[in-house]
Amino acid sequence: MIEVKNIQKSYGEIKAVKGISFSIHTGECYGLLGPNGAGKSTTINMLSTLFPPDTGEITINGLNVKTSIEEIKKILGVVPQEIALYSNFTAWENMMFWGGLHSINKTDLTKKAEELLQLVGLSDRKDEKIKGYSGGMKRRINLACALLHTPKILLLDEPTVGVDPQSRNMIFELIEQLNKDGLTIIYTTHYMEEAERLCDRIGIIDSGVILAQGTLDELKRHSEIKDVIVVECSQTPDEAYLISKLNLNVKVTDHTVYIESNDSKKDLTRCVIGCSEAGYEIHHIDIQKANLENVFLKLTGKQLRD
Amino acid sequence: MLKILRKEIKAFLKDRRAVMLTFLMPTILITVFALAFGSGGGDDVHKIALLVCDQDKSEITKSTINDIDSVKMIEVIPCAYDTAIDLIKKGKRTSVLIFRKGFSDSVKNLHPLPLDFKYDAARVQETGILQSILPKALFSGTVGKLITKEYFGEKLNMLDSATRYKVFAALAFGGALSDNNGKDISPEKIMRVNSTSIIAAQVGNIGLVQAVAGTAVMMLLFSLTGMGGGLLDEKEQGTLKRLLYSPVHPSQILLGKMAASIIVAIFQLSIMFIFASLVFHLHIADKILPLTILIFATAVACSGFGVFLATLARSRSQLQGMSTLIILSMSVIGGSMVPIFLMPQWMQNVSVVSINYWSIQGFYDILWRQLPIGPLFLTKVGILLAIGITLTLIAFRFFRKNVMALE
Repeated sequence: MIEVKNIQKSYGEIKAVKGISFSIHTGECYGLLGPNGAGKSTTINMLSTLFPPDTGEITINGLNVKTSIEEIKKILGVVPQEIALYSNFTAWENMMFWGGLHSINKTDLTKKAEELLQLVGLSDRKDEKIKGYSGGMKRRINLACALLHTPKILLLDEPTVGVDPQSRNMIFELIEQLNKDGLTIIYTTHYMEEAERLCDRIGIIDSGVILAQGTLDELKRHSEIKDVIVVECSQTPDEAYLISKLNLNVKVTDHTVYIESNDSKKDLTRCVIGCSEAGYEIHHIDIQKANLENVFLKLTGKQLRD
Repeated sequence: MLKILRKEIKAFLKDRRAVMLTFLMPTILITVFALAFGSGGGDDVHKIALLVCDQDKSEITKSTINDIDSVKMIEVIPCAYDTAIDLIKKGKRTSVLIFRKGFSDSVKNLHPLPLDFKYDAARVQETGILQSILPKALFSGTVGKLITKEYFGEKLNMLDSATRYKVFAALAFGGALSDNNGKDISPEKIMRVNSTSIIAAQVGNIGLVQAVAGTAVMMLLFSLTGMGGGLLDEKEQGTLKRLLYSPVHPSQILLGKMAASIIVAIFQLSIMFIFASLVFHLHIADKILPLTILIFATAVACSGFGVFLATLARSRSQLQGMSTLIILSMSVIGGSMVPIFLMPQWMQNVSVVSINYWSIQGFYDILWRQLPIGPLFLTKVGILLAIGITLTLIAFRFFRKNVMALE
């Protein structure tokens, strides 16, 4: 559905995007994960036809973003990073305005707006001015306004910045539902847990380059990141014994054993049995699953929130 | 405390906008005001142009014209009668002094002088100044000498110089004599200047028209620049980006803003004139059509200006600084604050670059000069529309370059 081929974008001397490529299938939720200034928003802006790439090519539904702007705008819904709403207007007035720009007839627009307000849990507050809303409520209306014309593709640019947990959860559930209903989604974020929860595939982007992309498992494999089984014992275990017994990478610090594993569920039993056979009394067991934080750290050498 | 003081000064100097507002802007405004109302710093005196039509073509008239021309505040411009009347009707000149045929004979024979002074009553300040200067110029020149010699004869010695002048002023422009010594002179029979306005101006209305038109246009420029600045607010708040994501062409965004500005401007100006009519009895009832045309043209020009400035600036604060400077300068030179005829001639020539000038002169034509809708009025309307359209076209260019540069 979306093909991005080697696109580049510069602002004067600054190269914001340095030749990235990816493709997204219909109904997929694709995440662009990276820190601030990585090039996520620039990529979204190029996808949304706001400005064309300097080089490279983007096609959406077979339409080129440089030549088929109007057609692409009809099938795209964009949720900008900012709360792009008129704060002196009510939620309803905002929805009528933004929906009206897509030339939807009034009856359909009213119906759709009511449906979306219900979905984002703000039906009873639709006549309040946006400036009186909490950050989370604003974000929910911000999202709802992008769905009024029933787009086929939804671009979400960090839609949960400054959002309370309740609203965040509501937004997640809504995105999951929309994706389940067949909407293709591109989701940019610098929160790993969001990308892990929502995205079928993730592209890790930093300094205008996609460092790796794939499912979470593929990324873990690509970056050779493993789960860690942590076993806390009554006394200091013998590291050499455990290595020979388990045939895994084992580290012992004080009373705790750290065992790296590609399949932590399978290896957990072996570890417990190994420790018990050696006569160590086990106090506590934990599995530290390999996550995007580890992957990002491995790929970029820095924390995602640096 | 010194540390705080140092920090404050440093912070102030780092804020370029604050520095500009503090030093540069007042300096520029003082310069503009000084140039408008002053003399540019030299010994130049603000000269009032006086058309002179010599139909007598005698040595006495030539000499008298030279006398008038030698007055520092008057610039004599020789002119044919019809041309002079036309220039005054068009508002390009204030007045004409006409030496009718037989002037020199009248001087010699002590007959009433065939001397006409025709003026534009809308230019009350300038004509007032001329009416007060001209008698002195005539009195102290050839005519004065000849008449006093012929008429007063030995009585001349009885009068001191101040009294002689008062007598002469009364002779020329019909003032009352204040000295008993002159009472038996019966001077008006000889030396009355026939002063007539050739423009059917509304008597007593000039200040009101100036106040309403001048203030209305200046305030309109401020409010429409503020409205145009909404573009920058939209950019900062992200709604502009969202508009650009939607199936709306960038030109539609700008034209939409423009149209809204024009509507607000029409309402603003209309309300101001209706208010002036109700409260100050400004006579507009039979001027609705020309007033509507001019209000529309002014609204287009001011809206174009507002959008132009908004697209030129890169932020709200930049716009604020820029608009204050430009609008105040335009208002000074364009006649919003004081009538332009009080300014030096070269400044009056410069004033045509301002929107204020064309609009205020248009309102003068309708409400003061009582001119019908004709070429003179329509030229001003056309110029205002041209200014509005040109600025809007330039704004389109800047909109793409400055406002749509979202990153």
